Amino acid sequence: MKNTIKVERAKKDMTQQVLAERVQVSRQTINSIEAGKYVPSTVLAMKIARAFGVGLEEIFELEESD
Amino acid sequence: MGKNSILNVPLLSPGWKKLAYVFFPLPVLLVIGMALVNPAIDPNETSQIIYGFWAIGFGILNLTREKVEDEMIKNFRQQAFQTGVYWLIWGLAALMLINFLSFDRVTSEIFTAYLVLFLLNAYIYGAFQYQKYMAEKDEN
Repeated sequence: MKNTIKVERAKKDMTQQVLAERVQVSRQTINSIEAGKYVPSTVLAMKIARAFGVGLEEIFELEESD
Repeated sequence: MGKNSILNVPLLSPGWKKLAYVFFPLPVLLVIGMALVNPAIDPNETSQIIYGFWAIGFGILNLTREKVEDEMIKNFRQQAFQTGVYWLIWGLAALMLINFLSFDRVTSEIFTAYLVLFLLNAYIYGAFQYQKYMAEKDEN
């Protein structure tokens, strides 16, 4: 699953640490999601979308391999 | 299902890791001490003491929570236990095969509960640390 977390963070000038604290996970988890190494649960994905004030599908997108 | 208390595994606080690390050198010192007191000590007995202590050490490490116990870590932990059991089964099968080819029997004195518990906990620990390493590798 692709995501645009890095782009959204840059728009809001937000660090991984700040986002991690807002959604109550570690910075390593945010980094892994950004890098596509870890696919978040629905709950965490919704928390991340809410932290940016955008819809879920604006951040996460299914790939052919999913 | 996640809130079902019978399935809940309580984890120890991170401070327990310090105690776990004590269990790794301790049996070696203990065995050396025992050998000095009784030079005729059975080598099998000494190896079982070492396996037992290391099993406890790895067991504590596997049941100690991380600083941030979020969903990724929980996911890694579940995968580590599954992978650990998988490696244990195939590892023991390989040992049994080697034993069979060497001595014409699948059972051996080395297959003790202490060895199995040590291997299982070591594999779980290895699988968990490997996932954490892979997640932290090439950080952005």
